[in-house]
Amino acid sequence: MPRTSAVESPGCPPLRALSTDVLGLVKVVEGRAERGAPQVVERWGEPDPRLSVLASSLSIHNSKPILAVARKTGKIEVLDAYNGKECASTEVGECGTLGKLSDLKLESDPIVGLHLFRSSALLFCTENGNSCLRSIKISDAAMDSTPSDTPSSWRVCGSGKVACCSVDGNEKYAVYGGKGVELGVWDLETCNKMWTAKAPRRNSIGLFTPTWFTAVTFLNDEDHHKIVTGTNQHQVRLYDISAQRRPVIAFDFRESPIKVVTKDPDGHTVYIGTGSGDIANFDMRTGKSVGSFNGKCSGSIKSIARHPELPVLTSCGLDGYMRFWDVKTRQLLSAVFLKQHLTSVVIDATATRESLVNAGGEITTAGVPCDAPVGDHTNNPSSLERKPSKVKRQQHHDHEGKRIKLRRQEIAT
Amino acid sequence: MGNKRKDDADEGAKEGSKKRKVAPSMIKNKVKRSIVYAKLKHEKKVEKRKKAKAREVAEKRALELGEEPPARKIPRTIENTREFDETVCKPDDDELFVGIDADEFSPLFKREYTSKILITTSRFHSTRGPAFIAELLSVIPNAHFYKRGTYELKKIVEYARNKDFTSIIVVHTNRREPDALVIIGLPDGPTAHFKLSRLVLRKDIKKHGNPTTHYPELVLNNFTTRLGHRIGRMIASLFPQDPNFVGRRVVTFHNQRDFIFFRHHRYIFETKEIKESSSKTKTEKDEKSSSKSKTVKDKKSSQENVIVRLQECGPRFTLKLISLQHGTFDTKGGEYEWVHKPEMDTSRRRFFL
Repeated sequence: MPRTSAVESPGCPPLRALSTDVLGLVKVVEGRAERGAPQVVERWGEPDPRLSVLASSLSIHNSKPILAVARKTGKIEVLDAYNGKECASTEVGECGTLGKLSDLKLESDPIVGLHLFRSSALLFCTENGNSCLRSIKISDAAMDSTPSDTPSSWRVCGSGKVACCSVDGNEKYAVYGGKGVELGVWDLETCNKMWTAKAPRRNSIGLFTPTWFTAVTFLNDEDHHKIVTGTNQHQVRLYDISAQRRPVIAFDFRESPIKVVTKDPDGHTVYIGTGSGDIANFDMRTGKSVGSFNGKCSGSIKSIARHPELPVLTSCGLDGYMRFWDVKTRQLLSAVFLKQHLTSVVIDATATRESLVNAGGEITTAGVPCDAPVGDHTNNPSSLERKPSKVKRQQHHDHEGKRIKLRRQEIAT
Repeated sequence: MGNKRKDDADEGAKEGSKKRKVAPSMIKNKVKRSIVYAKLKHEKKVEKRKKAKAREVAEKRALELGEEPPARKIPRTIENTREFDETVCKPDDDELFVGIDADEFSPLFKREYTSKILITTSRFHSTRGPAFIAELLSVIPNAHFYKRGTYELKKIVEYARNKDFTSIIVVHTNRREPDALVIIGLPDGPTAHFKLSRLVLRKDIKKHGNPTTHYPELVLNNFTTRLGHRIGRMIASLFPQDPNFVGRRVVTFHNQRDFIFFRHHRYIFETKEIKESSSKTKTEKDEKSSSKSKTVKDKKSSQENVIVRLQECGPRFTLKLISLQHGTFDTKGGEYEWVHKPEMDTSRRRFFL
């Protein structure tokens, strides 16, 4: 007998994740039921391959999540992560007033790294090594952000191609690496390079592996000394700035290049995604593998995001699926098909369990008043545990069903 | 035997007055078992025949009375009980069309330039390899064979890009038998890796034809999912987009359960007397022509009828996708769009193309 029923996936807890893709769309995926399948609830933007999103970053501004997306055209848009309204934008070319970036050719020099600071500043880095830090004015909340529009830009490297960049938890340091670009840590206050890595020694048969970093992250939120990188030669390395310039730990992982390295809030675990769709987590204290995430991931992993509180991991990649994983059991919780090649995924942790399970739609449509910040919930773990009563939940399920139907119609038209 | 018999007896008692039946597999004596089994099988056969007969009679009667004949039952196959797949392309999907317009092959389909194919081999090849390539050259218009020499594939990709080739086909040979096909889209198109099996060359096909140099028509069947669409477009990009219908050449890529069957035919229209045509087409293996001849027979009219004959020419082979890689050939640093993994093979009813 053929199996007519699909295999039940365990479903994932209520959460909200945003994905960007090559057609320039931002899709909001929300899981609203207690253990249900997440669904696409909103789609921002019109499909246009020229507006392809290259990088994105989520930050909290005035206890409101804002999302920065870097497009292929060289435009960086800052969106309100609740309703997708554009609240600020900047051009890569604008940062060229200082001279160095003025002769940018956007087609040949795409943005590879983007970081949105909590203090509403933007750091981006292009492939040829032009890095720029500038503050932006969030138009929605005009009262506090100071429009000090003095972009500071610097060159990360003379030659080679920057492939990845990352900013530490306190947002004081940034690290860059790439093809032919040794790992370098920059102090963002003075815009000076404070540390560079040294290439590993020749191996036992005297061969030298050329430098090619493809992914980088700081291991710990508090500590900027430890950096985990992935290389194109499928090697994962741990650097310790305070110890030495060569890697402290280095080990190989499978056969294909490491594309993503993402840290865990616990400060010693990293998640690694490769070019052939393997995900695994490693304990960087020992360099031992904890285990891999198996679940028919058929395309290269482009981005991994870890939920700050829930034990959930989100991954996306070239197979067009956004997948949710349980961090503890490493089981696939759910998968959402988002059609295109996805470029990045971020988790909006300000959307709490209650706000998702309850008034589903109200967050996205009405917005959140500044007096009652949603971000407070994140500091209050007890609020996460509370569940609404059964009757209430039932009502909201119905409500949610209708909403999704409406959305579908909208999308169809 | 006794214990098992008792169990069966219990079951039989539940069923009531029905004769007690023992499953043949429960009988230990081989002779008896085979007798019982043969009997059972014969009964089934008779019953089946009876059913078929009844169905036929019902159909005939319906036809005589001018009624609608009872609906034919559709057999359950692996394909029509395919697992639900959300990646199957839907016609009302705007993102799909925008994505297709933006992909690597769209300038070719918009006829901004025509296809130009470079065919090369693995480092060592002999016997069936060159023969296969010679036939491939006759199938694909504007294809050029280059000796592989000792060049790296990445160097060849670079060379071909500079020479304005639109695709590279690498025929990999193992133990004197072609066993894999790598298709690389240029300048930055994807790289697909296929397993090649069941290769039959032209000279081994009975009553084969010899193809002309006309541009062939292309038939792509059953490429339904996103991945399938992409593979289909990639295959279509190997051929020029303006077929010469005068040439009556058809190249078919038929996808069935993730296997892509390649066939190359030439068709011919014939105006013949019925008797001759029916007897001649009977010998033809092809389903299409036989069905046509049936319709001809049914008509039984004296006028001259146009029938279509198919003649197979060129090689016959089967492809199976192993991986689809983003960008040109790069095994070390490449990112895969799709790669086959063993954990995907948990169901026989799950297909990816």
